Amino acid sequence: MSPRREKLTSPQTRIALARGNRPAQHLLPIPEPVDTEAARRLFHRQRRTAARTVGLLSLLLFGMSGAFALWPQLTQARLAGVPLSWALLVAAVYPLLFLLALWHVRSAERAEEQAARQAAEDTTAEHTTADGRDSAEP
Amino acid sequence: MISVLAIGLVLATSLVIGIYGVRAARSTSDFLVASRRVSPNWNALAIAGEYLSAASVLGLSGLLLKNGLGTMWYAVGFCAGYVAVVALVAGPMRRSGAFTVPDFAEYRLGAPRLRKLCGCIVLVIMLLYLVPQFKGAGVVLALVSGTPYWVGVVLAGMVVSGSIAAGGMRSATYVQAFHYMVKLLFIAIPAVYLVAHAGADLRAQALHPEWGTHFAQTTPVEFTVDTTFGLDDPVTVTAPDGGRVDLAAGDHTVSEGTRYVFPAGAAVPHPEGLPDLGGERWSTPLLNSGGYPLFETWSTILAITLGCMGLPHVIMRFHTSPSARIARRVAVGVIALLGLFYLFPVVYGLLGRVLTPQLVLLQGTDTVAVVLPAQAVPGAAGTILTALVAAGAFGAFLSTSSGLLLALAGGLSHDLFQGSVPRLRLAVAVGACVAVLLALPAEKVDINVLVVWAFTVAASTFCPLLVLGIWWRGLTLPGAAAGLTVGAVTATGAVGWSLLLPTPQGWTTVLLAQPAAWTIPLAFATMAAVSWLTRPPDWAEHAVLRLHSP
Repeated sequence: MSPRREKLTSPQTRIALARGNRPAQHLLPIPEPVDTEAARRLFHRQRRTAARTVGLLSLLLFGMSGAFALWPQLTQARLAGVPLSWALLVAAVYPLLFLLALWHVRSAERAEEQAARQAAEDTTAEHTTADGRDSAEP
Repeated sequence: MISVLAIGLVLATSLVIGIYGVRAARSTSDFLVASRRVSPNWNALAIAGEYLSAASVLGLSGLLLKNGLGTMWYAVGFCAGYVAVVALVAGPMRRSGAFTVPDFAEYRLGAPRLRKLCGCIVLVIMLLYLVPQFKGAGVVLALVSGTPYWVGVVLAGMVVSGSIAAGGMRSATYVQAFHYMVKLLFIAIPAVYLVAHAGADLRAQALHPEWGTHFAQTTPVEFTVDTTFGLDDPVTVTAPDGGRVDLAAGDHTVSEGTRYVFPAGAAVPHPEGLPDLGGERWSTPLLNSGGYPLFETWSTILAITLGCMGLPHVIMRFHTSPSARIARRVAVGVIALLGLFYLFPVVYGLLGRVLTPQLVLLQGTDTVAVVLPAQAVPGAAGTILTALVAAGAFGAFLSTSSGLLLALAGGLSHDLFQGSVPRLRLAVAVGACVAVLLALPAEKVDINVLVVWAFTVAASTFCPLLVLGIWWRGLTLPGAAAGLTVGAVTATGAVGWSLLLPTPQGWTTVLLAQPAAWTIPLAFATMAAVSWLTRPPDWAEHAVLRLHSP
């Protein structure tokens, strides 16, 4: 008699079968050992950046529509035959929106890079004091 | 006929791309978010392709023709919404690892029951958004093939649910990237051609609304509903029996089915309740349907800009990026792609006022982009341009509605019931059926009115949940639940009331039709106030900080 057939499954499939009908555990666990102070600083900095971007966005949108309401002359004035207010609304506003988003991404990424550099420096400093030698790799 | 062929070609290509992608869709995660294997460029194209709906392709130029330049605030809002997404949600949402807004609610507040509430709101938003897409598809198909409106709607529903149930998001990514190209090229090429072909005289007329709006040629008008219109000057029109009818200056009411032939050069009558075509109200770039232009414009800007981040299918898309950094960059790419696209719909609206003003009398302005090319360019070239625009519009419908259906199916099976791929497919079919049934009676409702309704609900529910959840550790479960309920009920109720029931005159009408200016602050305030009264759990700060650590 041939040996009993064994079912081969990949580890992923085994996990999926074991999970049954419960939802996938894709939600990341909150990692415990973090430098809470540094994370807080980064969070506050990112929040200021976000507030600045949203403020400028509101200024642009509400300011532009407010200007159209206040000064009807903007529709009478013409730029190369096109009413000025039309040109602003149908074309000129899009590059401004793009630049605003680009500026935000730059600022947010810079904040993250600085935080990462700071963290690396702190680890190095700790290693230097603990082991008495310079090591970038913890 | 060529239009039908062009639409068929777009459809066939979409199906081929969809079926090619099927092999990759195996797990729920594959099906919903393409397992994060999609490259950033494809992703940006797909997001833009999914986002540019019938509201952008047909609705914008139609409303511009009917209500005037203020309509372009919708386009600016659609684009500005992504600036808010970049600034407030793209990165942190990706880091949370949540697929959908309900997932995020569970991550941040740790309550499975809130997930069900969010799931219900997803369904409301998605249905409000799907109905105008099916309406757009029905209108275009009816126009180019002569079939009745309902045939177009039913056919569209079958095509979309079929292709989605076969392939899921993996294929949808490429299908939608392809659709962005279709939409951009098929709207841009005819627009550029029309502007070049129009000649200096016509272009000047389009840019000088104060010269008045006249019928470009002898124009038969068949009134499909009872209509009241005003005339500045007397005009002699021809009835179908050949008799001549003298219409004096002043107001006239005609009954449904009346046919008049207006002579070339006659001034276009002003239908009751709409701004004079080319008049001051029309050419001032503010939204003004009820006499409070600044309030209406600001309310709409708020609804669209903040609603964008709350749209479940938009949020879902950012999980196909490998990291938070790339998710943000993808969103910036989307802004560039949207800005490029929105330069073109305005051409159809402006030329439409000069060449096809009768659409306003026919209450068919949503069709202007499809009708205009044939009117402006006679002969074969016009037919081909019409085919291009029709195919572009159908592409818009296909990609948006497949994204929406997927989010709807995700909401049904992932959040409300714990589902697998087969059940997700069933959910797609159910969602499509409901949307088709709701779209059948919506033929006369403007596409953009329905779309802005969906944005208003999203902005009054998920926007406060995401913004406060990501940027404020004090948000609590009771606060979130109270804010979501208040926002959903007020936003859905107010617009529903203004569409379906008679409204009192004056300020109340505007407050009900454009409720975003009060429902969004109300939802934010409720969420914050109730959260203040309750205590957040100890791990709340960790959950927030986690969203911002690289």
